[in-house]
Amino acid sequence: MQQGGGSETEVTWEDQQNINNFGRLNNRLHELEDEIKFAKETNDNLEDASNELIITDEEVVRFQIGEVFAHVPKDEVEDRIEQMKEVTSQKLEKFEEEKESVLGQMSELKKILYGKFKDSINLEED
Amino acid sequence: MASSSSTGSGTLVAERRGIPGAQFVEDVQTYLSQLGLDVNSSLSFLQERLQQYKLVEMKLLAQQRDLQAKIPDIEKCLDVVATLQAKKGTGEALTTDFEVSEGIYSRAKIEETDSVCLWLGANVMLEYSLEEATDLLQKNLDNAKASLEVLVADLQFLRDQVTITQVRLLSLACITGMFINGEFDKLVLHLLKTSKKKLYSHLI
Repeated sequence: MQQGGGSETEVTWEDQQNINNFGRLNNRLHELEDEIKFAKETNDNLEDASNELIITDEEVVRFQIGEVFAHVPKDEVEDRIEQMKEVTSQKLEKFEEEKESVLGQMSELKKILYGKFKDSINLEED
Repeated sequence: MASSSSTGSGTLVAERRGIPGAQFVEDVQTYLSQLGLDVNSSLSFLQERLQQYKLVEMKLLAQQRDLQAKIPDIEKCLDVVATLQAKKGTGEALTTDFEVSEGIYSRAKIEETDSVCLWLGANVMLEYSLEEATDLLQKNLDNAKASLEVLVADLQFLRDQVTITQVRLLSLACITGMFINGEFDKLVLHLLKTSKKKLYSHLI
């Protein structure tokens, strides 16, 4: 149903869907960047915590569970922190992977959309 | 979607949970000739639509923030119940420091127990056995996560409709040569300010 291609470029349904997808991916990218930042901070905090643990000579550590600080023996705390570090590192890895994939898809779409619309469209961040 | 009668081109979904779907117009030239002189009202209709979408987006984002705060809370509660359950076998009491007031903590010794009290909201607190409490909390957590998923899908749908409407608005304005009046500049500037991803016409 193309009108004879005038100087104004026609936007087909497929183009619209590509643009929509690009928008979605862009939003997802920002969310991922925030998640990654948060996960890195958590990791750093856990690192600091386990370093503190090594230095301290107390046998019982006040470990935060929920809203309270339970008295937990040092060894158990060490284990718990190791576990938390594992979980956070895995999450971080997953986020980084997803970010790579999103960036890949975005550059594919950019190629397609710039190819069709050239200067009529701007897909860069501010 | 009253005023526009366009050539049949895919409207993906008519509406989703109260959010009106945006009608995609593929053949803008024909659509324009059908409108005749009614371009202005079509343009203002589309702009109004964008405002409505903006309002809905704010509401959904607020709901999303609430849910995202609620989920870690429930997980913390589950943690505490799990700790109590673990202590149950050992016969030792659990010593904890809890906050009495800002910056002031008090020590509590929690003997082995079979039950906990859960705050259900609206000034209501109920006592549950450890297993029941775990089940209830887990159910709440699952519900919250499911609601969050639906919400995220709603937001995606909404953003797609916004993009479709923006593109339609721009191609309509561009084809009618509104830029000559200088109104197009204002229109596009407005759209640029309201979206992270820029999409503008070569006529700028």
